[in-house]
Amino acid sequence: MTVSGIAVASRRSLRRREARVGLLFVLPVLLLFLAFRFGPAIAGGVLAFTDYTIGAETSWTGLDNLRRMIDDPLFWRALRTTLIYSLLAVPLSILASLGMALLVRRSFRGVRLFRSIFFLPVVTSLVLAGIVFTWIFSEGGPWSSLLGAVGLPDGSWLSDTALVVPALVIVAVWTRFGFGMLILLARLQDIPRELEEAALTDGAGAWHRFRYIVLPELTPALYFLAVIETTVSFQVFDTVYVMTGGGPAQSSYMLVFQLYDQAFRYFDFGYASAIGLALFVMTLVVALIQRLTLGRDR
Amino acid sequence: MRTRNAPTAAVLALSIGLLATACGGDDDTDTTGGEGDSGGVSGEVTMWTYPAIADEPTHRAFWNDTVAAFNAEYPDVEVTVEIFPWADRDQALTTAIAGNSAPDVVYLIPDQLPAYARNIEPIDDYLSEDEKADYRQNVVDSVTIDGQMMGAPILQSVLALVCNKQVFDAVGQTEYPETWDDLLELAPTFQAAGFDMTAYGGDVANSLNLSFYPLLWQAGGDVFNEDGTEVAFDSDAGVRALEFVQQLVENGYVDSAQLTTEPPLEQTRIAQNKVACVWHMEPQYLVDFWGAENVVVRPPLKDAEQIQYGTVGSLSMLRSAEDKEAAGAWIDFVTSAERAAEYDTAGRFFSTKESVGSLYEGDPILGELEQYAGLTTVGPLNAHAREVMGVLAPEIQAVLVGDKEPQQALDDAAEAANALLG
Repeated sequence: MTVSGIAVASRRSLRRREARVGLLFVLPVLLLFLAFRFGPAIAGGVLAFTDYTIGAETSWTGLDNLRRMIDDPLFWRALRTTLIYSLLAVPLSILASLGMALLVRRSFRGVRLFRSIFFLPVVTSLVLAGIVFTWIFSEGGPWSSLLGAVGLPDGSWLSDTALVVPALVIVAVWTRFGFGMLILLARLQDIPRELEEAALTDGAGAWHRFRYIVLPELTPALYFLAVIETTVSFQVFDTVYVMTGGGPAQSSYMLVFQLYDQAFRYFDFGYASAIGLALFVMTLVVALIQRLTLGRDR
Repeated sequence: MRTRNAPTAAVLALSIGLLATACGGDDDTDTTGGEGDSGGVSGEVTMWTYPAIADEPTHRAFWNDTVAAFNAEYPDVEVTVEIFPWADRDQALTTAIAGNSAPDVVYLIPDQLPAYARNIEPIDDYLSEDEKADYRQNVVDSVTIDGQMMGAPILQSVLALVCNKQVFDAVGQTEYPETWDDLLELAPTFQAAGFDMTAYGGDVANSLNLSFYPLLWQAGGDVFNEDGTEVAFDSDAGVRALEFVQQLVENGYVDSAQLTTEPPLEQTRIAQNKVACVWHMEPQYLVDFWGAENVVVRPPLKDAEQIQYGTVGSLSMLRSAEDKEAAGAWIDFVTSAERAAEYDTAGRFFSTKESVGSLYEGDPILGELEQYAGLTTVGPLNAHAREVMGVLAPEIQAVLVGDKEPQQALDDAAEAANALLG
């Protein structure tokens, strides 16, 4: 073997050893993940095909729970509400994140303070946010007073079957834009300033610089955000639980709320698991569609 | 080679160690004492209860004293009483049962019993004959499923009509409503003076036992048919009850803020002395806001019937209890007439035992309320009662927000509910 051949073999051996050590370092987390996240998820999938409930014999029911789900008008209603909520919350949340990231992108006095303040809602408890927003949207609360002052109907949005979902969307955008802002800000700061300066020299306006230089560079981050935001939106529960309880008249009743009701109010874990399985499939399909559109070649 | 492999081995050992720590259970061995003097009853008993006595130090002191008194008789039984919040108690209990970490004894009300019936050890054989015979028959009936007592009753609560004298004085009314018609007749006067005639909690998280069902029963209807195979709330009586609520809402006789959400009591018009009468609250909770001198307890409202909701709190033993004899002895001790009466008085509840008699004679609030114990019902003891509430409550709410008419809402709810009953 030549000297260079020995050197290559030695480097390969070193890399393999490093890989082994690396693998061992992540092993605890991997095993915990398998035991406490992946395992229960698989178990949940299996439960969807049983009639499991507490204290009773569990038997295999095949596709009964899925058939029941298909025939359940409440499931379709919850699905439709979840989709409407997500269709509003995901784009608005990303737009708000993008807007705020562009606002705090430049360095100016106090920008760090602004970034921290904008990130604050992300670390605020959703339950706490829900309680505060319940007051904000209540009859006679700040939101209705504001609407009344400009001559709009001043009733409580949480009591209105048409406005309750938009109210929840506003809360979602408020609680989540900080996270998106952080992701997009990190990406924005990686874009070479020379590109925008060159475009400026060539006479490109602000919109064109954003459209043809900034936006293409942000696409991977936007794809990531779209997947995360969609997943979070499909799983919305805390704010619904605290603010509306799925009402009024089930107009904010969403899939995870139905899952919760079936499991913890009616103890029908088999059916609850079937709803969970449907939610998983739905999230997966939407994530794949997002990958085919936003995430191409990335 | 040996030196280079050392970090690998160390990381492997650390990984296994961490996983073992994470997955490991509590291996502490039971150090309970040996056989006791009381028939050899020994073991450990864990009980979950809730703030039935609102003042936490008083509640905790009661259980500490009770455990000490129990241990004087049963020195070899170690009792742990855990007090949890009312909120999400079913979720916590369900999770604990599913995870094999359930308590041995738990406080339940009749509404919960059918859902947990499979997990409950019937208590009949663990109660002394004297104590069992001392229970009022309606109390025994409220915890009995398939001929077996699913819990040992420890308290009874009673609801009636409670009116605010201060509000009546402000309006210049001296007569209190006795029927639905009285209520509707008086309502415009109170409304003109800036008061709500009553309050209706339409939040779907609320139990219908407190809001709609009393009206349904008063109208002469019921939730289920006699054998529990179908719902019966879509009857004429049901429609009449829901039309009554609709009238209250549409005419503005109740606060609309409570139709879809349940604000904390102190933020409601009830607490602000703006509501004339309520039927969903126990009067003792209104004293702080209205003043004892303004709390007037009246008989339950009457339409076709005069009836109200009242519950029975009981201690149930779960089948998973390891030391059943010890758990049974504990339940028998706690629910004995003397001990339970002490608990009832501290929590301002009523006794479930014949031998105790009146606990509040001469008390203008509780003494008055105690008289109506015979006019209460605990609600339907049906395994699907909660699911039925789950489909009916949103339909009622649809009427309250003006989306549906009563007949349509009840028909839709009945269709969904009967599908659940199979």
